[in-house]
Amino acid sequence: MKSRALLRAGGVGAAVALGLGLAACGSSSEDVDVSEQTLGAMDAYAVGDQFTATEALTFPILYSEHPNYPIKDDWLFWEELGKRTNVTLEPTIVPMSDYEQKRSLLVGAGDAPPILPKTYAGQETPFVASGAVLPVSDYLDLMPNFTDKVERWGLEDNLDTLRQEDGEFYVLPGLHENPWQDYTIAVRQDIMTELGLEAPGDWDEFRDVLRAVKAAYPDMYPLSDRFNVPTPGGNFLSLVAMTYGTSAGWGYNDATFDEASGEFAYTGGTDEYRDFVEYVSSLVEEGLVDPESFTQDDDTAIQKFTNGRSFAISTNAQTLVNDYRPTLADTQPDAEVVKIPLPAGPAGNVISGTTQLENGIMISSAATEREDFVAMMQFIDWLWYSDAGLEFAKWGVEGTTFTKDAEGKRVLAEDIDFVGLNPGATKHLQKDFGFSNGVFAYGGPTELLQSTFSEEELVFQAAMNEKETLPLPPAYPFSEAEREQATLLETPLADFTAQATLQFILGDRSLDDWDSYVAELEAKGSSTYVDLVNGAAERFEEANG
Amino acid sequence: MVTITNDDRPRIRSNRPKRMKDSRGYRVFQVVNGAVLLGVVFVTLYPFLNIIAQSFSGESFIRAGEVNLIPQGFNITTYQLVMGDGMFWRNYGNTVLYTVVATAIAMVLTTTYAYVISKRNIRGRGLLIGIAVFTMFFNGGLIPNYVLISSLGLTNSIWAIVLPNAISVFNLLVMKAFFENLPAELEEAAQIDGLSTYGILLRIVLPLSKAVIATMVLFYAVTFWNSWFQAFLYLNQQELFPVTIYLRNLIAGASTASSLGSGSGDLAQVASNIKAVTMVLTVLPILCVYPFIQRYFVSGVMLGSVKG
Repeated sequence: MKSRALLRAGGVGAAVALGLGLAACGSSSEDVDVSEQTLGAMDAYAVGDQFTATEALTFPILYSEHPNYPIKDDWLFWEELGKRTNVTLEPTIVPMSDYEQKRSLLVGAGDAPPILPKTYAGQETPFVASGAVLPVSDYLDLMPNFTDKVERWGLEDNLDTLRQEDGEFYVLPGLHENPWQDYTIAVRQDIMTELGLEAPGDWDEFRDVLRAVKAAYPDMYPLSDRFNVPTPGGNFLSLVAMTYGTSAGWGYNDATFDEASGEFAYTGGTDEYRDFVEYVSSLVEEGLVDPESFTQDDDTAIQKFTNGRSFAISTNAQTLVNDYRPTLADTQPDAEVVKIPLPAGPAGNVISGTTQLENGIMISSAATEREDFVAMMQFIDWLWYSDAGLEFAKWGVEGTTFTKDAEGKRVLAEDIDFVGLNPGATKHLQKDFGFSNGVFAYGGPTELLQSTFSEEELVFQAAMNEKETLPLPPAYPFSEAEREQATLLETPLADFTAQATLQFILGDRSLDDWDSYVAELEAKGSSTYVDLVNGAAERFEEANG
Repeated sequence: MVTITNDDRPRIRSNRPKRMKDSRGYRVFQVVNGAVLLGVVFVTLYPFLNIIAQSFSGESFIRAGEVNLIPQGFNITTYQLVMGDGMFWRNYGNTVLYTVVATAIAMVLTTTYAYVISKRNIRGRGLLIGIAVFTMFFNGGLIPNYVLISSLGLTNSIWAIVLPNAISVFNLLVMKAFFENLPAELEEAAQIDGLSTYGILLRIVLPLSKAVIATMVLFYAVTFWNSWFQAFLYLNQQELFPVTIYLRNLIAGASTASSLGSGSGDLAQVASNIKAVTMVLTVLPILCVYPFIQRYFVSGVMLGSVKG
């Protein structure tokens, strides 16, 4: 009796849950007529115009709170934004640590604010089928700055990578004028100078440098690396693989496009991938790379580097200045650390072009019912995509937070600090003024991006900009059924590839075993997966080519 | 009789040391046992002491991995820095408020519920127990719960934190078992002496249940002090956040995988000594409560389980 009552109660619960689930799924309507939703919108809004709402508007926005600069109501950012655009943002504050989860919850519950920033490519996919987010590509005519930048910077191919099966994209990405390669390897320049070594131009020369260091300092691991979360060898493997014409580590992509055959192949089974694995495993075999490199946590790797027990480590511009230099100044006062230009590989002196798109903004579908929808899109276009908006979000107000000299070079006000530009200043551009906030300031013209870079970083970036940009693979948006199947295949395949890659690299498995490894990939469904990819690519090509 | 005792006494006295002397095996066991337990104590305490040492150390010493149990580059400026942050104290105050209110509500509800279902002769007891136990195995899930709380208008208020988890079924069952084991005769006697049902509960049963009540207060208080997920789900203003969210964002926020590849504004990480100081300040109060409730804690759980 009792158990039957329980069962019945369970049944009711399940039915309610099902009903809610169904209720959350609506269908997205195409070609919405927005002529009635022009409250506060500007009649003529074009590139170069300052957007100012014709009446005061308020837009709710999801806000990712960074622990380094907690949000404050008295930020100059809010005040000045109101003055310029007549818009007040109403933030729903979410801790950055769990931002993604809260966003899913709010979208799922139908309670999301219309503006959902900090959405990385791919994170919008789960919301597409339910129609909870807006196919923003339908509304680009409201966004002159966005379309202008896409056109001028040639980003159509990049945008294609965001398109879903219906040919639309659902996230407005941050746009970069040029590819931006930040990560590379940091080395001890003092040891390089002492041994008379030059910065390596390609990976073979890189190996020679490590060999020379090993010969001179037998107790030192020439390379002991970090950035192993969430994938082992995240950064280093990704850098090497990129220049070998394949992908691994952080950048691992299950499908690699083969220009010669015009088709996709499973990345982990390609010849390029094998060459890349062979190279890295040879480094480990010669004792040039610490075997713990691919699994140790960041702190351990940093400690080895700053205690003088290793010679090289992965870096970006920030970690160079924040993690290595201050500590080395205490522990090894003579040490000097520099970023080396990313070495070239068999695929040429190349960097990836995917960095031209950044995380961006989703719009929840409910926004189309707002009376001020048009004004909202114009506002987003101004703040995130216009030159004036981008400069405002990053640098603040001219004359208050920064000044411009005759050549247009921006200089931060003397009493304000940001990324160590004015060490010792009492105020901080992010903490006290709300500018250079990760939610609002990213992307833009290279000149703006590099305006806060140090001299040495500018030199590094100049070298990076001379490299060729790798072509982007064709887009292959899956249908819903295909995606389900692909996801089932992808995870075990990628896990197995990562595991086998490490075994090959660390010498736990011989490279003679390569063919049986490829056969195992096959058994796990690599060719089924590749067929899915090729089918989807072909279909997309036909529909949108 | 007297002579016998007189005769016995010296013998007992002389025998006592011999009889009480531990066997060799037992002494070895004690030494080994002590060593192992000391090891366990050290392993348990080490991370904690390490964090305390870090909280007093300079950042570059922590980065270089030179801080173990003794602070290097001793300073208290980090404490001054963290304590000078208004939002930290604001959130800290919230945690205290949420913990006190939530524990009070939880105790009233759990005690009364447990008392009712501990009475075997009450009609509908099975249903009441069934309702409680059902929630142990099934729940609506994240989104339905969120929809419920938000349509009740509880979001962005203290009630979203203190009401949804007011009754922990585990605690409820422990308490029920405890009440069931109180001698029924006591309550019968009280009834004959003219006490009402509420009188029996308030004047007889509760005074006899101090052990289990103290245990439950501790269970609830620790849970509410540490909890962050409810607050994360239902609160959208940082003035309302408990300190656990502040701490979590500090530790996990700037180093999540998705932020690693992102733009320059997001890359800076929070210094390790700031993290350490925040951790120390957050666990300190609940750590101070523990020793005082601990004795009840042990006897309370035992009473609930062994006799039940």
